Amino acid sequence: MKPERVDLRGVENVDELVERVLQTRLREARELAIGLQVRDKQSLHDFRIACKRLRYALERFQGLEPSLEQIAERLALLQDALGEAHDRDVLLTILPPTMPATERRLQSERSELVERAAALWRELEQMMRALDSHRT
Amino acid sequence: MAVKWLEKTIARERRALERARKRFVAKPNEKRLHDVRTTGRRFRSLLEDVASLAKSARLRRRVKRAAAATDAARDATIILRLLESSVDEGEGALAQPLLERLREQERMATRDACKALTRMRFPS
Repeated sequence: MKPERVDLRGVENVDELVERVLQTRLREARELAIGLQVRDKQSLHDFRIACKRLRYALERFQGLEPSLEQIAERLALLQDALGEAHDRDVLLTILPPTMPATERRLQSERSELVERAAALWRELEQMMRALDSHRT
Repeated sequence: MAVKWLEKTIARERRALERARKRFVAKPNEKRLHDVRTTGRRFRSLLEDVASLAKSARLRRRVKRAAAATDAARDATIILRLLESSVDEGEGALAQPLLERLREQERMATRDACKALTRMRFPS
């Protein structure tokens, strides 16, 4: 999935650049968070990639704004959970049908990982709202 | 001011990718593969974030190609490790052909990634 283009027209300083990049990447992640409800392979994958882009932006800019560090750390945990769920999706597609017990285990782990990701996202939404209100 | 900061940041991340690439090519292993992929993704993400300010379409495509060259190696490694750790006790023997296939894929894909990254360079 192609990333949304960040409109940097008229940007005069680094603070403005940071703000526009983060706003765009955050909007993208929020739009794709629907994947946590749909829970199919593709929707979760798209959301994971959007989280990855947001996390890289946060980590890049946290030297300029330390308050971003905590959010980036939580986002890394969420991304790990989604990444592990994705790995299980990939393995499930090639697992021989003669291995039902292993399949059940992988399915159950996948569900737990998606649950964990959903809980982390709810937590992150709160942290990001607090950051927004602190800035405005 | 923003452009100057950006030029410095792009140069720094480009150097990081080149260092990771050289390390991987010198001695390909799982850790170095992970490093070269991560630095490449970070760099690509930066270039995408600032595409409207810093024109870098060709460089973006090269970084994307470098990442794509390592995809198969990464996939085989991750899925192999996951399968090794999740096979149910009673199904161990049934998993052997798939484990063998994944080990072979990992070996071949790592060799191909190394070949491809030997040719791609990211000098400053």
